[in-house]
Amino acid sequence: MTTSNADLGEVIITRIYEAPRELVWSCMTTPEHLTHFWGPPGMSTPVEDIVIELREGGRFETVMVNDATGERYPTSGVYVEIDAPSTLVWAEQGFAEGMTTTSTFSDLGNGRTEVVVHQRNVPPMFRSPEAQAGFNASLDRLEAYLRVLAS
Amino acid sequence: MAVDALSRTFAALSDPTRRAILDRLVDGDATVNEIAEPFEMSLQAVSKHLMVLESAGLVSKGRDGQHRRCHAEGASLDPAIDWLDDRRQQWEDRLDRLGDHLRQIQRSNSTSSRKKES
Repeated sequence: MTTSNADLGEVIITRIYEAPRELVWSCMTTPEHLTHFWGPPGMSTPVEDIVIELREGGRFETVMVNDATGERYPTSGVYVEIDAPSTLVWAEQGFAEGMTTTSTFSDLGNGRTEVVVHQRNVPPMFRSPEAQAGFNASLDRLEAYLRVLAS
Repeated sequence: MAVDALSRTFAALSDPTRRAILDRLVDGDATVNEIAEPFEMSLQAVSKHLMVLESAGLVSKGRDGQHRRCHAEGASLDPAIDWLDDRRQQWEDRLDRLGDHLRQIQRSNSTSSRKKES
């Protein structure tokens, strides 16, 4: 397998927005903004349930509420790195514990901003010594591999 | 889906030898001896890996006594594939909505600043 030079379980998503970097940053770090785009369709993310303690070690919590059933899905993380307005890193807790999400915001000039969300899915089950020593595959590659196996 | 089952799947796949064993079985069913052939490890070690794969439901063993053949259970990977898909899709959608939100607030900002100017 040619899955060496990347970490296991990576998601990298890039978007370019016609918006200044400070504004994009504040969207990702302000409950009043987050509530508008965080949850999937059919779910709301009530602003009063969003906890953003914007400092290293601070909490980052959201609750997604199913509009139809009222079911609540809390998620929680801890900020591990904050370098406004360019880098935001949090580590997820709970089921996804060990997973780190890094968002980088690059000023492209002319009021354009590139956002790269880099999610490293490293749940505890991946943290065996063997896994740490050698198991490296991007999420994309792993997924492609799983598809081959499943076909 | 059950978190435990998903964890078992990923744990089973987290080892290079086990992935290699699965690769081999995807090409066709094989006995433990056949599977062990290319590996520089004891039959016992290979059997251990097979047990992990079996308990994760990724591999099944036939009932044919001594010559039991191992078989890759491809469909058992579906939940893991779905989960990986979900993670990515969630972020794709979220960032699309962020784009909508940015357009919206910038529109309303420019509207309000025009009002101030007039």
